[in-house]
Amino acid sequence: MSGDEDGTRTGLAAFGSAAVTDGWTRERISLLVAIGLVAMAFAPSFQVYLFTEFLIIALFALGFNLLYGYTGLLSFGHGLFFAGGSYGVAIVLRDLGPVIADVVGSGIAPVVTFALAMVIAVMIVVVVAIPVGWLSVRLEEIYFALITLAFGMLGFSFILQNPGGITNGTDGILVLLGSVEIGGMDVRLGDRQLYYFLTLGIVASATYTIWRIVNSPFGAVCKAIRESPDRAAALGIDVTHHRWMTFILSALFVGIAGALMAGLASVASPYHAHWTNSATAVVATVIGGATFFAGPIVGAFIYLYVRWGISRFPALEAHWELFFGALLIAVVLYFKIGAVGGLLLLRERLFGAETSTDGGGETE
Amino acid sequence: MNFTTLVPLIGIGDIVVGLSLGSRLFLIAVGLSLIFGVLGVLNFAHGALYMLGAYFALAVTTSVVDNFWLAVVIGALAVGVVGALIEVATIRPLYERAEGELDQLIVTFGFVLIIHELVRFIWGSQPYSMDTPALFDFSVTVGASTFSAYRILVIGLAALVMLSLWLFITRTYFGSLVRGTSSDREMASMLGVDVPRLYTGVFFLGSVLAGLGGALSAPLQSTSPALGDQVIIDAFIIVVIGGLGSMTGAFVGAMIIGLLQSIGPQFIAAGHIAIPFLAMVLVLLFRPEGLFGGIGE
Repeated sequence: MSGDEDGTRTGLAAFGSAAVTDGWTRERISLLVAIGLVAMAFAPSFQVYLFTEFLIIALFALGFNLLYGYTGLLSFGHGLFFAGGSYGVAIVLRDLGPVIADVVGSGIAPVVTFALAMVIAVMIVVVVAIPVGWLSVRLEEIYFALITLAFGMLGFSFILQNPGGITNGTDGILVLLGSVEIGGMDVRLGDRQLYYFLTLGIVASATYTIWRIVNSPFGAVCKAIRESPDRAAALGIDVTHHRWMTFILSALFVGIAGALMAGLASVASPYHAHWTNSATAVVATVIGGATFFAGPIVGAFIYLYVRWGISRFPALEAHWELFFGALLIAVVLYFKIGAVGGLLLLRERLFGAETSTDGGGETE
Repeated sequence: MNFTTLVPLIGIGDIVVGLSLGSRLFLIAVGLSLIFGVLGVLNFAHGALYMLGAYFALAVTTSVVDNFWLAVVIGALAVGVVGALIEVATIRPLYERAEGELDQLIVTFGFVLIIHELVRFIWGSQPYSMDTPALFDFSVTVGASTFSAYRILVIGLAALVMLSLWLFITRTYFGSLVRGTSSDREMASMLGVDVPRLYTGVFFLGSVLAGLGGALSAPLQSTSPALGDQVIIDAFIIVVIGGLGSMTGAFVGAMIIGLLQSIGPQFIAAGHIAIPFLAMVLVLLFRPEGLFGGIGE
């Protein structure tokens, strides 16, 4: 390395340490992030939509990673639970909306209906995940990936088949959230800003819950199983049972993401259950870094914003998959720590070793 | 159920269509199964390689030489080269890794995205169709049903491939190396087998078979970038039902799925899409080694 580059590095390191001693504490950074998240709501409408979608995909990937990064099981069928969430919301809104309006009066009915729809949707997902998970966790590695793929596609064909007209086949179900009157003002639930705050609140709470889970004794057992199922079993852990519980939790969070997506996209689509949608969580998680808590979040951010960035260039438009395919391969082969690992390395370089210890999010 | 009205519905034509569907599915499934049986790699990109075979054959007939048979051979071999390059560059570094199997699956999935987009970039999103070779461009009528003679040819070729592969694996020296390496890699390596080269060779062979399937079915289906995504799922179902690593299993599984796709809708209007996935789940749960276990059996 040349002397010039060394000079730049020491300069940057000095700048970094100065910033830390000047009081760039975690509290200040958190405050800045919070302000940024609120300010985001006042961005152009499309940007608000894109950011909301990012939050939903981040939760999708976080739920998926509970099983992959933390427990060592790669699912190619989590689209099933995503679709369970979106169809749960869509079906409750379509079929129970009028009933609920009769009970609570039309004024606040849309709010009650949507809240109830979310709860019922997540319950449906859990009810599906209990048997599917119980059967799937009997298998490991490639076979687990294959059976979850099969379950996902079974759900996909179920939706296409439209039993009793409940799923509306290939068209999917239109989701209309309606509006409520507050102080003479008509407030649409599906309004970009309002829905953004709603999503932000739910995703933030869910993320905090997942954080608590992975840092609890339950999460420690997950990591033990990931590192060595045999050793975990020798310690008296019921590996299959624990994987099953993790599977259900993982599906639950993915179901919340799917339910939120139905409101954002205004449709519950059969595509949500297709294996290519399940792969979205895989791509985002691996690129972000499956061994870090924040990996799926950063991965989802890269996934959506790089895709959007590429679509700005007409010559490259619609060829963003090429980029992600190459990135995916490069990460798996040479950079298993992913984007978050890369950021931590960079921070270590810039700020010196003393701050690198409070990374906090590593699952190691 | 009233059988007197159901039985006449299955014409010989439907069976021929089902078997020709099964034949092209066999060509992709047997390559997938062979690669898994020997290398332990589940190649997610196998459907994309199949699709590439169809595009390569199309490209050869339109811009190099207007000969169908030459195009099929060149297309299949070119796909083999692509497969071998993928193996050497990206899969070989992962054999020694602890969680290598899942990493290999993710890497090959990366190639699904790459090949899909490259095909769209080069040939566009519109579907192509290929002319049936003149020699077989006539119809055969048996009883009340009529079908293209080309379908019979595809069925015959698939059977020929099955037979040659079986002879190759069970009767040749190279075949015994493949079987030996598949059952104990380290032992084979100690006995002087050049395992990395053998792996690349098997990956090449498996890819050639996928390319051959794609090229041969170009006159029977419309070729579009979505083709690979559909066919890989069928191939997964087949190899799981037949048994990962089993050639006989790939053959039987492919014929079952082919017939189910052609005849199934007449019997079970609602559910013929779900049945293969249900079968896949049941086999994985109760007989994960498949209905036919082991390579060369």
